[in-house]
Amino acid sequence: MHSRYRRAAAIASAAVATVLATAACAGGGSSSSSASPSASANAAAISKPVTISFDEVYSSGTLKTALQSAVTAFEKANPKITVDLTTYASYGPLLTAETAQVAAGKAPTIGQAYESWAEKFASSKVIVPISSLPGASSTMSTDLSTFYTGVQNDLKLPDGQVWMWPFDKSLQVLFYNADLLKADGITSTPATWTQFAADLKSASKNGVVGITIDPGNATEGVTSGEEWLEELAASNGTPVYTSNGTPQFTSPAVVSAMEYLVNLKKEGALATGSNYPGETALGAKKGLVDLSSSAGYYYEQQSVGGKFPLTTTVLPAGSTGSVDEMAGANLVVFASATTEQKAAAWKFLQYLSGPVEQAAWSAATGYYPVTSQALTEPSMASYLKQNPWVTSTITELNNAIVDPPYAWVTQCGIDLSTAISAALSGTSASSALSTAQSACTTAKSNG
Amino acid sequence: MIGTTTGAAGSARAQQGGGSKRARRAGRSRTRDFRYTKKGWLYSGPAVLIFGAFVIIPTFYTFYMSLWNWNVLNPSLSVYKGLGNYRELLTASDPGFLQTLWNSLYFTGAMVIAGTAISLCLALLLQRGGTTMNASRVAIYLPNATPLIATSLIWAWIYNPQFGLANWVLHSLHLPTSPWVEGQATSMPAVILFSLWHEVGFTTIIFLGGLTIINDEYSEAARVDGAGPWQEFWHIIWPQLRPVTSFVVVITTILSLQSFTQFYQLSGGGPNNATTTLSYLVYEESQVLQNTGYAAALAVVLFLITVFFSLVRWRTTPDIGITS
Amino acid sequence: MTVPTVAMPRWLSGRRGIPARGRKKTWRWRRHILAVAIGVAFIFPFYWTFVISTDRPGQFDSFPPVLLPQWDWANWSRAWALAPWPRLFLNTVFIASCTVILCLITSTLAGFAFGVLRFPGRRALMALTLCVLMMPQTVLIIPDYVLATDIHWVDTYWIQIVPWGASVFGIFLVRQFFLTMPREILDAATVDGAGRLRMLWHIGMPAVRPALVIIAINVFMASWNSFLWPLVMTRSESIQPIEVGLSSFAGANGTDIPGLAAAATFTTLPLVIFFLVLQRQFIRGALSAAGSIR
Repeated sequence: MHSRYRRAAAIASAAVATVLATAACAGGGSSSSSASPSASANAAAISKPVTISFDEVYSSGTLKTALQSAVTAFEKANPKITVDLTTYASYGPLLTAETAQVAAGKAPTIGQAYESWAEKFASSKVIVPISSLPGASSTMSTDLSTFYTGVQNDLKLPDGQVWMWPFDKSLQVLFYNADLLKADGITSTPATWTQFAADLKSASKNGVVGITIDPGNATEGVTSGEEWLEELAASNGTPVYTSNGTPQFTSPAVVSAMEYLVNLKKEGALATGSNYPGETALGAKKGLVDLSSSAGYYYEQQSVGGKFPLTTTVLPAGSTGSVDEMAGANLVVFASATTEQKAAAWKFLQYLSGPVEQAAWSAATGYYPVTSQALTEPSMASYLKQNPWVTSTITELNNAIVDPPYAWVTQCGIDLSTAISAALSGTSASSALSTAQSACTTAKSNG
Repeated sequence: MIGTTTGAAGSARAQQGGGSKRARRAGRSRTRDFRYTKKGWLYSGPAVLIFGAFVIIPTFYTFYMSLWNWNVLNPSLSVYKGLGNYRELLTASDPGFLQTLWNSLYFTGAMVIAGTAISLCLALLLQRGGTTMNASRVAIYLPNATPLIATSLIWAWIYNPQFGLANWVLHSLHLPTSPWVEGQATSMPAVILFSLWHEVGFTTIIFLGGLTIINDEYSEAARVDGAGPWQEFWHIIWPQLRPVTSFVVVITTILSLQSFTQFYQLSGGGPNNATTTLSYLVYEESQVLQNTGYAAALAVVLFLITVFFSLVRWRTTPDIGITS
Repeated sequence: MTVPTVAMPRWLSGRRGIPARGRKKTWRWRRHILAVAIGVAFIFPFYWTFVISTDRPGQFDSFPPVLLPQWDWANWSRAWALAPWPRLFLNTVFIASCTVILCLITSTLAGFAFGVLRFPGRRALMALTLCVLMMPQTVLIIPDYVLATDIHWVDTYWIQIVPWGASVFGIFLVRQFFLTMPREILDAATVDGAGRLRMLWHIGMPAVRPALVIIAINVFMASWNSFLWPLVMTRSESIQPIEVGLSSFAGANGTDIPGLAAAATFTTLPLVIFFLVLQRQFIRGALSAAGSIR
């Protein structure tokens, strides 16, 4: 069937049938073999050379070099497996590419994916559950138990199965300009959000704006600004989503979180920008603090360039305690891979999430290791010594919030970003949030 | 119109052709004229084939997709919706359809009106010889020659409210600084300003070309009669520029309705959907949100709007040359 | 007004002309000053990019901004090392050149067909061709990707050249030139027994040369500037063009503004030089084209 259609594609008049037929054929029963779990019995040993492809976004700095060393080390330990990396600049192009490849039946073996993407992939039957990978059924649950509980839960989709495997997770941290803290007479970093606001306001003078955030938009996707709103709301008692993905944007805790931001803006203690503006402001000595992913650690240092010491702390607490949001994409395995590729992929996934690689990766990038076993690895020792905030915050991985794994959450995230920029531009917090609430509810009901 | 024939030439050729009874017809013989041939399809073939395969067929495919809740990952799981996507499109919120449409029309209108006016003024200014004039013409066209990605990245930095050149210029002129792309009301004007900087060179060159064929005699006569520069422009030059102006308006409309890169790179559709045009929304729905069927419906709407504007222009100025 | 070549205005032919209109001298000076001011305003962002790219560390975000180049090339060497720029350059030049050649061929043939030949369905084809302009590319990407995979062109040079090998603008421009060409020229050729193709090659093409020049320049620049299409259709840096490289560089190093400025400068510079060298031909061609719009 395929060869006939391939020839027809070159003839314009038959192209209609071709494109439509391709669309139908690219779906169920695409190309090569699909893995059947029962065939995995003796697939633990890789017998012949196999190449697997990995779509990822580690395109610069220490991330790029660290991943390449990881791959080299893995290939050395598994001489029959070759890992082909395809790097994308950021998550937006990654999603476009993964979608296009799947649509054309040429998906990679492994790809990075957010939870909401994974749900869509799974319901479209283009990825496979981890337990179905050859060799995984026996070892998966033990491996799983070594991860922090928050990470474990993050790997599951609403049907309860494990569809993703972790690679790196990050939490949000605050990077302070230690010199400015001293100059403003702030002796200890704020422990509550109220104190945080007061400190920001007192620091905002002489061209310095306390904090600059990026509310986010459709091009950029998830940003620290939007995560901050979620953390504020959750630390005041109500997360923005329920556990089954229903938005609660108009609940009092979320509205007061938004008003907190609006108030900061009114007092000149908050500015907005795009493209990691907090990092740029901090480096230019025009900001007191930057709220950012821990994985931005090396980038912050680069921006600061040694001009002043950085103080890194956890997030302050709200009325119900301190809540952090876990970020970092997981890994999924695509259904169109061959059985051998899936077996090799499982080996690679195990390697990436194992303590040795997690320690090396974490020390190189600022991501947290997903397993506590990595903390005792020798390669982490000096990193942990220089960065005590890592050990003091890592247990947050057990109870950090994460956006629930539903496809509509992507749209809702954009709606929240829009609400933030609306509120900061003058719309009232409650009406901005109710616009977002109704848009998100529509997205949820459309599935 | 080229098609009309001169009787003398036609019959002369017919006589030279000789033999055939049809040769006695006064007027062009269709079979003997090289112009009349079905092989026209062969000549236009390569171009049509390329368009057919990569644009026309996918366009029909897009129409088709717009009727489904299309699952791009696994099309066999798509669910037929008929006109459901169009219904949802019209009742959408955040951003609403009217808001998105307004943003597109705002941008396009500003580009057409300001772009045409500015490039016409520049053309009138620069229609002289000399090194400075030449250098200025090149300088104005240069932004159009450079990649939109590179210039968008630089202008994103120029527009930075804290560190950017734009606010420094305002500051030096003792004018209030602006949030540029970060402000809800100033974002679209900022994108328009950038787009004008990028596009004006192209339309200026076109106007310059139109000005070169203006018949000098009329202008001379008008000046002899004592007309001032404004009257000379309005009564003599402007009417003669009408076909060129039409062309510029049509091209600018089509290009502006589809503009995407600057919205993607500079403003990300925000803040608060202030710069979310139909074209940007198509990107957002198809690439970010994977609502392929819905995005296809949006694309169809955008397509129809573009066709509508083009038809309106062609109705009002039939001398674009397509009718021959 | 029948010949497709427009009487070249004195100011374009390069001779310093006496202004045809007898205006006062002050007008001339005002005109020149205004022209210079506007030119500088348009060029300034490019100058600014260059300045940022040569800033010493810590200068790019100072306020008031540094306005003179500091001649520190560290940003250039850093940006140069972060992507395989020479390969990307070669790719871009290769792709752009091939696209130009293909476009010239298809535009001449189709422009000839639409402008000179008469055949059933001609008007329909022309209307269809015009409609090509109106479909937003962001949506065509997905069906095109499926087609590209089906013919095994993904991640090749082919997919970056062939779909762009026909230009609506080019076709109609060539057509416009043929429309303004006197019929006698081509008729005379048939008398001599020339076939259509030969007629096109020997007589048609030289007559529409200004159009071909402008098409070549335009298509080359458009190909150099292409971004979304190669972003989706290609994955290997060994065949990607330079704008994708710049975008990846920006996505990955977005906050390295001086490095970004350096990369933007050296990815744009070849094109700018190309344009500056050819700008006289370009403008001449553009004027002829514009002058034939009626």
